[in-house]
Amino acid sequence: MVNIMTDFEPKIVAFLCNWCAYAGADLAGVSRIQHPSNLRTVRVMCSGRIDPLFVVQALKNGSDGVLVAG
Amino acid sequence: MTQKLLKLSGIGENRLHLAWLSSAEAQRFVDISTAVINDISVQGKFEPAMFELELGAVEETLKSETIRWMVGKEVKLLTKGDVYGRKWEREKFESVLDSVLDREYKIRLIHQAIAAGFTSVRGISSRIGMDMKEISYLLADMEKSSMVEFKGHENSIPVFGAL
Repeated sequence: MVNIMTDFEPKIVAFLCNWCAYAGADLAGVSRIQHPSNLRTVRVMCSGRIDPLFVVQALKNGSDGVLVAG
Repeated sequence: MTQKLLKLSGIGENRLHLAWLSSAEAQRFVDISTAVINDISVQGKFEPAMFELELGAVEETLKSETIRWMVGKEVKLLTKGDVYGRKWEREKFESVLDSVLDREYKIRLIHQAIAAGFTSVRGISSRIGMDMKEISYLLADMEKSSMVEFKGHENSIPVFGAL
């Protein structure tokens, strides 16, 4: 049985490119591949849109990690 | 570059993961996200309050003109060369960027410490754990660029203020 108090569930902000990673994530969902639900997704039109300051903002506001995928 | 800064600040470069994949790679996405989640789980919870000054310093460094300029010129310096027509080797560029990052980050960390009320060299040193001699050198430069001002003496200890 999973112990909720000790099992740490990290909060991860994921910046996903609309055309690559986001579509990949979408496909993973559509093809019903099992995957964990710790990602909080932010869809961007291009991973070049992501300013390094977004990463700092995410960490400042309590996320445990950041993933940038393009 | 952001990972380098996170490493410098002690937050840890692996709080940020970068990955590239195509839209057809659903399984790869699942693999990557699982690996990232596992890695962050191992690192444990991130407490922003513990890294308040460091996060502020990282943020200000990322905003700084020098860093933005260097990162923006990277491709041009490596492929076309600088204004003198000299092409830069990647290692050379990286090492210059490293030293600029180090300096800019330290300056901003000192600035954050002063703004948080640690106004003497000893106080700053005790808060951010940097060598007092290094702080003094950087403070002199920061004074020239109007980042800090010398406020006078308190019990014959020089006191600084953040601008």
